[in-house]
Amino acid sequence: MNHEPECNCTGKSRRRFISRRDLLFQAGGGISGIALAQLLGSQGLLAAPAAAPHACVGSAGVTDSPFLPKPPHFKARAKSIISLFMCGGVSHVDTFDYKPMLEKYHGKPLEGKGEVLVRQGYPGPLMKSPYQFKQYGQSGKWVSELFPNIGGVVDDIAFIHSAQGRSADHTLSHYEWNTGMIIAGYPSMGSWVTYGLGSENQSLPAFVVIHDPRGGPFTGSAQWSSGFLPAAYQGTVFRSAGDPILDLHPDAGSLSPEQQRAELDALARMNQEYVEKHPGISELTARISSYELAFRMQGCAPEAINVDDESDETKRLYGLDNKVSEPFGRQCLMARRLVERGVRSVQLWNGAVVNQNVDTWDAHNSIVDNHGRHAPEVDKPIAGLITDLKRRGLLNETLVLWHSEFGRMPLSQKGVGRDHNPGALTVWMAGAGIKGGQSIGATDEFGYKAAEQVVTAHDLHASILYLLGLDHKRLTYYYNGRNMRLTDVAGELIPQIVA
Amino acid sequence: MHRKSSVKTAGTLLAMVSLLGLLSIAARGQKSQAAEVSAILAKCQQCHGTAVQMSKLSVATRDALLQGGAHGPAIIPGHAADSLLFKRITGQEKPAMPMAPLSPLTPDEIATVKAWIDQGAPWPEEAKPAPAANQPADASLLSYNGYHERPITDADRQWWAFKKPVRPAIPQVQDPRWSNSPVDALVKAKMEAKGLTPAPPAGRRALIRRAYLDLLGLLPSPAEVDAFVKDPSPHAYEDLIDRLLASPHYGERWARLWLDVARYSDSTGYEYDYDVSDAWRYRDYVIKAFNQDKPYNQFILEQLAGDELDKPTFDSLTATGFVRLGPRVLDRDLENPNYRYDYLDDIIRTTYQSFQALSVNCARCHDHKFDPITRKDYYKTIAVFNGFIEYDHPLVSSEEWAKYQTASDEINGKIKALRQQVTAIEAPYRKAQFQKILAKFPADIQEAFNTPEEKRTQGQKLLVAQVSTVRGEEEQDFNTGAHPALIKVSAEDDQARAKLLEQIEALNKQMPPKPPVALGVRDGDFRFIPHPPFQQGSLGGIVYEKYGFTGKYIPAPGDHYQPPPTYFAATGLMPFADEMKAPIVEPGFLTVLAKPSQQPFADPPKNGYPTSGRRRAFAEAIISEDNPLTARVMVNRLWYQHFGQGIVTTPNNFGKMGTPPSNPELLDWLATEFMARGWSIKQMHRLIMNSETYKMASDYYTGTDAEKDPTNQFLWRFPVKRLEAEIIRDAVLSASGDLNFQAGGKPFFPPVPEAVTSQVPTKGRWEKTEEGPATWRRSIYAYVKRNLKYPMFEVFDQPDAALSCERREVTTVATQALTLFNNEFFLLQAKDLAGRVTREAGGDPAAQIKLLYRIAFSREPSARELREAEDFLKRQTKPGGQSALAEFAHVIFNTNEFLYIN
Repeated sequence: MNHEPECNCTGKSRRRFISRRDLLFQAGGGISGIALAQLLGSQGLLAAPAAAPHACVGSAGVTDSPFLPKPPHFKARAKSIISLFMCGGVSHVDTFDYKPMLEKYHGKPLEGKGEVLVRQGYPGPLMKSPYQFKQYGQSGKWVSELFPNIGGVVDDIAFIHSAQGRSADHTLSHYEWNTGMIIAGYPSMGSWVTYGLGSENQSLPAFVVIHDPRGGPFTGSAQWSSGFLPAAYQGTVFRSAGDPILDLHPDAGSLSPEQQRAELDALARMNQEYVEKHPGISELTARISSYELAFRMQGCAPEAINVDDESDETKRLYGLDNKVSEPFGRQCLMARRLVERGVRSVQLWNGAVVNQNVDTWDAHNSIVDNHGRHAPEVDKPIAGLITDLKRRGLLNETLVLWHSEFGRMPLSQKGVGRDHNPGALTVWMAGAGIKGGQSIGATDEFGYKAAEQVVTAHDLHASILYLLGLDHKRLTYYYNGRNMRLTDVAGELIPQIVA
Repeated sequence: MHRKSSVKTAGTLLAMVSLLGLLSIAARGQKSQAAEVSAILAKCQQCHGTAVQMSKLSVATRDALLQGGAHGPAIIPGHAADSLLFKRITGQEKPAMPMAPLSPLTPDEIATVKAWIDQGAPWPEEAKPAPAANQPADASLLSYNGYHERPITDADRQWWAFKKPVRPAIPQVQDPRWSNSPVDALVKAKMEAKGLTPAPPAGRRALIRRAYLDLLGLLPSPAEVDAFVKDPSPHAYEDLIDRLLASPHYGERWARLWLDVARYSDSTGYEYDYDVSDAWRYRDYVIKAFNQDKPYNQFILEQLAGDELDKPTFDSLTATGFVRLGPRVLDRDLENPNYRYDYLDDIIRTTYQSFQALSVNCARCHDHKFDPITRKDYYKTIAVFNGFIEYDHPLVSSEEWAKYQTASDEINGKIKALRQQVTAIEAPYRKAQFQKILAKFPADIQEAFNTPEEKRTQGQKLLVAQVSTVRGEEEQDFNTGAHPALIKVSAEDDQARAKLLEQIEALNKQMPPKPPVALGVRDGDFRFIPHPPFQQGSLGGIVYEKYGFTGKYIPAPGDHYQPPPTYFAATGLMPFADEMKAPIVEPGFLTVLAKPSQQPFADPPKNGYPTSGRRRAFAEAIISEDNPLTARVMVNRLWYQHFGQGIVTTPNNFGKMGTPPSNPELLDWLATEFMARGWSIKQMHRLIMNSETYKMASDYYTGTDAEKDPTNQFLWRFPVKRLEAEIIRDAVLSASGDLNFQAGGKPFFPPVPEAVTSQVPTKGRWEKTEEGPATWRRSIYAYVKRNLKYPMFEVFDQPDAALSCERREVTTVATQALTLFNNEFFLLQAKDLAGRVTREAGGDPAAQIKLLYRIAFSREPSARELREAEDFLKRQTKPGGQSALAEFAHVIFNTNEFLYIN
C-alpha cells in the first residue's frame, strides 16, 4: 500500500511520520472522548496524558484482547525472545564447531559411519574448512574467521553443538525448528509463546517477524503461522522499510487524518449503540477497543522500529555504517527496540529464497562464495545486539536464539561446497541468565553427526519455553481430539541451559 | 518380589564389575562378560523387567532384547552402534537411559555393553530364564515386534457416539409457539430444564437479512426486503427460505464449509507450493453438490470412491480430488518413500475427521490413547487407500480421449526423434564446454578427473561421481523438465539445428488441445511409477526397484488388479526389506464400528475397471445407516454453521477428547431425521431455519438468562455471529453493487501488494491483478494458496489449508481494524457504494442516508441516527479525497451491525 521511497530516514518520510504520531496522540484523545471514555473512564485510565511517550508501552488500559499478559507457569528467566534464523543451512564445521580432524583426513572418504546419504547426487570426500579458527574470550571458544565479532562475545553465548533434525529438506527442516513438526500446518514457536504469555505491550503486535529485505524464507509466512491456534497468534510481518505493517495507513490521499478521526468517532458511536442492544458479548466490546488499538498502532509501530533516534555509536555497533551489514543490523536494532517495548517474540530472518543459492546460506556451490557473503552480513549486527542488550541491562530478560534449519556435510560437494546435513547443527543461545562461554554436546570427530547429548527440536523448544516461564507439557491447545503441544509428546530440558 | 531380588543381584554384581574394571574387556571370558552385562542390565529391569515393561520392553533375556519393545529391537547382535540399547544408554537417542533418578551408566559400563553387543551378544544357556508369557489371549489380535493390539470391548462400544442414534420422544411443551417443530420442543425443553426464558421472535427485517447472509452470504436488496416485509402470506418466511435454497448462490456460500473441512487449496504447499491448476473443478463439484442437494451419503461415496462406482460420472471422478487435495512436497518424492506414508496419513486424518469426527491418525504409532482405535485399525485404513495413485481423469468420452492421445503421441514421437538429432549435433560442443567448466573447479577435482579411472583413489572416485551427476548440462532441468539453453555451435551446425528446431516448433503447434481432466485418484501401484526425467509430481519410490519388484503403475482395463501389500507399521523410513518382515494388514473398517462382515473388505469391483473396490467398501461402511457417527457429524456441522456453535462443540471429534453433546436428544433427532429424509442437506436447512429457535431475536437480554447460561449454549437468544472473512468481502461487494456473479471455473487472484507477494518464494503461481470487475467475483472463487493467504482473509481468521478445519475461530485484533479501515479494497468499495446510493437516491442527503441504511442493514435509520448521519455529511464534505457520503459508507463497512449476522 505504501509507495514511499524505501528508506524512511529521509526528511520527507520523517516529517510524515511525525505528523502521524501527532495525529495519533491527538486522535487518541479524540476517540477516547467517545468510546474509551465509556470503556475505561470508570477505571480512571484517561488520567494518563495522551501524548506521553508511554502511550506506546504497556497494556494502556486494554481490557479485552487475546494478547493481554498471562501469568507464566513458573518464574520466567526471560520476558522476550529474539530468534535469529539463518535460512539455508549454516555449516557448523566452518563456523562454530571446529574439527581439526577434517584437515588430517581432507580428500579421504568418510568411512565407518554407515551409508552416507546426501541431498544431491553422491557423497564427496571429507573437506577441511577453508577458514582459520582461533580461540576467543575467557572460555577459549574456537570460532572461525567468518565470525570475528561474534567471537568477541562468546563468553555470553552457550553453544549447542549436538542439535539434530529429521529431514534433509529445507522446508521440512524449517518447519521442524519453527513448529516442532516436519509437516505443514502446526503452530510456530512464536505463536505458542504469545498464546501462552500474551504480550507486555498492547500497542504493538505480540509476535513480530522481520524477514530479509530481499524476500522471505522457505514457504514464507507458513513459518510463523499460528497453525490450529487462533489466527490472532500468527506472526505479524514488519517490513524494514516504509510502513512496517500492511494497511497501517490508507493510501496517500484517500483518507486524510481529519477524515479518519471523524470516521472513527462516528464508528465508535454506532458500535457502542450496537453493544448496548446486544449486552453481554465481550467480542463486541473487544471490537471497539480494537479500533483504539489499531489507531495507537499507527503511531507506535513506526515509532518502535524507527532507528533514526539511535546514537551514531549505537548504529555503528550494529554495523549500520556498512553497506553489507546495514540491512541485518537494522533488523537487529529494530528487534532490540521491540523487546524494549515489551514485544514478546521477535523473529529475524537472514536469507531469502527468491535467489536461493545466492541469497540464503545454502552453500552447495561454494562455502567461500556463500558463507563468505552471508557471515559479514550478520556478524557485526548479532554481536552488536548482544552487546547492546547487555549494556542496557536487557540481556538478562531477553533470550537470544541463533539457529538454522540444518548443518552442512563435512564432505565436499564439487570440491568447494557442502550439502545439507540434518545429522548435526550448531545452535546457540545467549541471555536469559544462561551461563555463557559453554559448549554443550558434541558432534563426532568430523562433525558428521551429533554424538554426545543429542538435542532435538523438541528439546530445544522445551528449554526455550522453560526459560520463558512455561512448562512445555502444560502449554496445550485442544485440536483434533487432543491437547496439542509445541513439543508433541517429547522434549527434554537441556540441563546446562536451564541450570 | 522379583524386582527386589533383581536389584539385590545388581548390587552384588556391580561390586564385581568395579573390581574387574582394570581388566581389559576382550580378556574376559564370555561367561563373566555376560554376567557383567546382566548386572548392568539389572539396573534397567526396574522398568524393563519381567514385572514391569515400560514401552513394552523387557531386558531380562536375550530373546526379550532381540524382540525389543515399542520402539523396535533393543539390540542387533554384532552392531552395537546401530542398537537401540546402545543409542539410549549413550544418549544418542532420546530419552537417554536409564532415566532419572537412576544415574547414567559409567563409561566402563557402556564399553562393556558395547563390546558385548559387538561380539554377538552371547548369553549363556543357564542364564536364560523361561520366556515371559505375555502374549494376548485373543488370537485375532495382532502382536508384532513388541506391539500388542488392545482388544475392543463391549465397554468401548458403550461410548455415546458409538451407539446408534435413537429417535427420542418429543417432549410436550406448553407454549404453542414452541410446539410446532420437534426441533423447538427439544430446544425449549432444555431451556425449561435450565430455567431460561427465550427471546421473542425477530422482526421480518432482521429475519430476511439473517437468512440471506446465512444461506447466500449476500445482502438482500432493499426491494427484496420491502417485498418480504409487505408480503401478506402467512407462509412468507417459509417461501423466502425455499427461494433462497433454490438460488445458485446458496452453494457458493455453503460449499465453503465443506472446503474448510476438506483442506481445499489451489496449491500444493511446502517449499515450491506448486500451482494445482485444475483443483477448481473439485471446488465447483462441491458447489454443485450443495446446489443440487446431492444426498450426503452419495456425496461421501463419490469423494472417497467416485472411480469405483457402478457407473462413474464426470462428477464422481472429479469428487475423488478429496483424496488428493492435501499438502504435498512433490520434490524428490521418489527418493523419500516416507512422503507417501505422510500423504496417506493426511488422507486418513482428513477422511476420519471429516466423515466420522475421529482422530484415527493418533493411532499411527500406537493404539489410540483415549479412544478404542488400534494401530492395526490405522493400518487397515492404509490398506484401504494404499492402491491410490494420483490420476487425471479425462472429462471427455474415451473415444475422444483416445483420439487425443494417438494424435499427441504421434507428434511427441516425432519431436523426440528431432530432439535426439539436436542433442547429437550439440554433443561435441557440450563435451568441450564441460572441459571448460571443469577447469574452474579446484585442482583436486581436476586431478581426480584427469586420473584414469582405475587409478583413482576412493576419494577421487567420489569427487568424479559427484561432479558428473550434478553438472546437468545435457539433461533436462532437475525440477522443471525444461531443456537446457542452446549452446553455441558452428555456423554450419547452427543451420542444421535451426532447421530441426523449426520443425519441432511446427510440430508443437500441431499439438491438439488437451481435453479437460479432473485431478483425482484411482487404483494402481505407486511402487512402479515411471521415472520422469525430472521428479516433480511423482509419488512412489526408487527404493522399490532395488528389491527387484516389477509391476504396472496403472493397470490396463481387463487386468487382474492386485493392490500393493500393506505391511503393518510401515513408514517408509526403514529399509524396505525390514518393513516387509511385518505381517500384511488387510483392509477393514474401525473395529469398534465395524460389523464382522466388513472385516476385511473383499468386495470385487463391479464397474469393469481394474480397481480393488476397497475405497468403495470403506465408503459404504461410512454411509451405512448403521454407522452411528456419519449423520450426527454432518447435522452437527450444519447446526454449527447456523448458530455459531455446535450441539457438539468439537465438530471434528466425537471421541473421548471431544465434548459431549449439549442436547443429545436434539442431535439424535436431527441425525435420524437426516437419514429419514434421504440425507438431504436442504431439508435440514428448512427444518432448522423454519424453527422458532432460529427465528428468535438477537437483541434480547435478561440478567437471569445471562447468569444461568452466559455463553448462550442453550440458545435463549439468537447468537450474533461475525461474518466469515470471505462473506465480509462478498457482503461489501453486494452492497456496492460491484459483485461480479461469474460462477465457477478458474480461480481469480485478489490484488495483493507486492510487499506481500515478494516475501513468498515459490515455483507456484500468484498473478498480479488490480481492483476491478475481474477480481470482484465471489470470494469462494479466489485462489487459495497454501503459502500466501489473501491478507484480508488471513486477518479475519481464514484457516490454514494444510489441515482439516472443523470450525472457524473468531478472534478480534487490531490488524482487522487496520484492514477494514485502511485497505484499498474497502476504501474503493465505499466510494462505489456512495456512487450507487447517489444514482439510486439522488442528491438529497436524507434520502441517501436512508438508502444506505436499507442496503447495509436492511432497515431505516432512526430519527436520531438520521440526524447524526446528516451532521456527519455536513462536516465531512471537503474537496478532494473521498466524498462525505463515501466516508459514511466506509464507516458503515466497519460497524458491528454490518459485519455481524444479527
